[in-house]
Amino acid sequence: MKILVLLSAGRHFASGAPRPVPVELQAIALGRALVDDQGGSVSGLHAGRVDPSVADALGHGLDDITVLCIGAEDDPLPALAAEIMACAPDLVLAGRRGLGGSDSGLLPYRLARSCARPIAADAVSIAPQGERIGVVQFLPGGRRRRVELKIPAVVTVHEAAPPARNFVYRARLAGTIEEKPGAGAPAAWMAIEARPYRARPRLIGEGGMGGSAEERLRAATETRSVGGRLMVHPEADAAAAAILDCVAGFRPASR
Amino acid sequence: MATVATTPRLRIDWAHRGGVTDHSAVAPPTEIAPRAITIAEPAFLLFVVAEAPGGVLTRHDRQAIGAARLLDGGGAAAVVVLAAGPVSDAGAAGADLTMTLEIEGYEPEFAAAKIATLVRLHAPRHVLFVESEDGGDLARRVASLLDEPLFDRVESLSARLAVRPAAAGRVEWHALPPRLISIAPDMIAPYHGLPHASSELVASEVTRPETGLADAGVVSADAADIPLDQAGLVLAAGNGVVDFPMFLRLARALGATPGASRVACDAGHLPRAMQVGASGTLLNANCYIALGISGAPQHLQGIGSVEHVVAVNTDLHAAIIARAELAIIADAHAVMRALLARLGQSP
Repeated sequence: MKILVLLSAGRHFASGAPRPVPVELQAIALGRALVDDQGGSVSGLHAGRVDPSVADALGHGLDDITVLCIGAEDDPLPALAAEIMACAPDLVLAGRRGLGGSDSGLLPYRLARSCARPIAADAVSIAPQGERIGVVQFLPGGRRRRVELKIPAVVTVHEAAPPARNFVYRARLAGTIEEKPGAGAPAAWMAIEARPYRARPRLIGEGGMGGSAEERLRAATETRSVGGRLMVHPEADAAAAAILDCVAGFRPASR
Repeated sequence: MATVATTPRLRIDWAHRGGVTDHSAVAPPTEIAPRAITIAEPAFLLFVVAEAPGGVLTRHDRQAIGAARLLDGGGAAAVVVLAAGPVSDAGAAGADLTMTLEIEGYEPEFAAAKIATLVRLHAPRHVLFVESEDGGDLARRVASLLDEPLFDRVESLSARLAVRPAAAGRVEWHALPPRLISIAPDMIAPYHGLPHASSELVASEVTRPETGLADAGVVSADAADIPLDQAGLVLAAGNGVVDFPMFLRLARALGATPGASRVACDAGHLPRAMQVGASGTLLNANCYIALGISGAPQHLQGIGSVEHVVAVNTDLHAAIIARAELAIIADAHAVMRALLARLGQSP
């Protein structure tokens, strides 16, 4: 199975230093697990300039990286789509969102559309099933969804996927980086002003706002009696039956 | 010389928190039923793509409708809620129209094709999505179909300015709100004004696109693997529990995620990652079972948003007993053994 992992130029959220995007390293680990099982290769693909963060991904389990040289402000879609059409990988993996650029997570979807491949989002595990692959998607609240995709396909990986492989310096040295000129196209222009990030308060409580500071403090700290059912020294079995009755609607259905 | 005023100084109590107010100037309240706002001739349309599982808007959906109300030009626009099935409470949440996409199950490609067709047909000024796992996926599918930029995870919104984080959260992008926007959770307040008169709009027929994606059903992850803040059902042990292997067996048998009080973690019986409370994890669970936990204020803060609490404790006067929907005054071990027996496992 031929797997291509899309790499983006990552930046550390606090220091701004170049580093690989963690979720892309998790995508490499998922691809590597598939290849160790089935045979094949896991390559990296990056459009832009050779970035130290991209080169470091070699140490986490990539065989080689292709860098398509385009301008810093160019839209990477045409270059990536042309390269994917040329090397025809069975599976294109990407992180659900980059860290360091626009971080919108839109590129894998545009790529899937321009290459006419199905896309599944937020994978936590991938298993081959003949001409298809089974993908387990992350859902909130501890739920997972199993979907099947025709290959060739594009899959984005969620942060809840298994952890990335450790960095191996020998692999970093042994891996090769091939630089090619890419077909850059000017990106759609949008008037954007970038400012230092300012954390905004999150809404708390159902209404999201309510009353004075005193009322909000009381709502956060006060124990309110709900006037529930009280069983004093019941038979253990009766207590167990009452508990099971109470939690019946919240237990997972598959059990 | 001016005379000294004999009445107390007039204080204007803007926030209505008590204090001295001049009641003589206030007209007696008249009983008026809340009227519904109707927008007969909308100047433009705003689409909100809601998740609405089971036809009920989620908290995040309401926030997206609240965000749409910020863009409506002072009540000139009609907010249209697009959901998979019919939505019951859209008017109170601030929506003027609802449109049913008639999607059953998980069909993101079909849903995106329908939404893109409706956007081309009705030309709304903005389309707002919720940035959850499935909502964000749908937003990106629609953006790629329309070949338009998506301003995702918007944290602050007005008619002139949308703000989203970028570059690993180090900068924020300020821009005029583009057409496609997705709203970050718990950042924009839901609509709190008068309810809108909500009517249903019939969506046009769209042919089903050829799909390479097939749904094989929702499965539950192993409860022990779920991060505590995402768990739906949590079983927690405190100082009243001694037999921790039995506690963990019970959690597995119940399908609950194990948690612990600070005392159990401090004593080293359970890992620190399991701690529930102000210095541990704040739960988002639906149901919480406390075994041998008295309910310190810091612990109760951790279960502040849990609706259904079950407590087993030997002390009738423990704080958790007042908080619990079902409170059992008994030794936790006897109840744990009885629960395991009822679940068909040997204690």
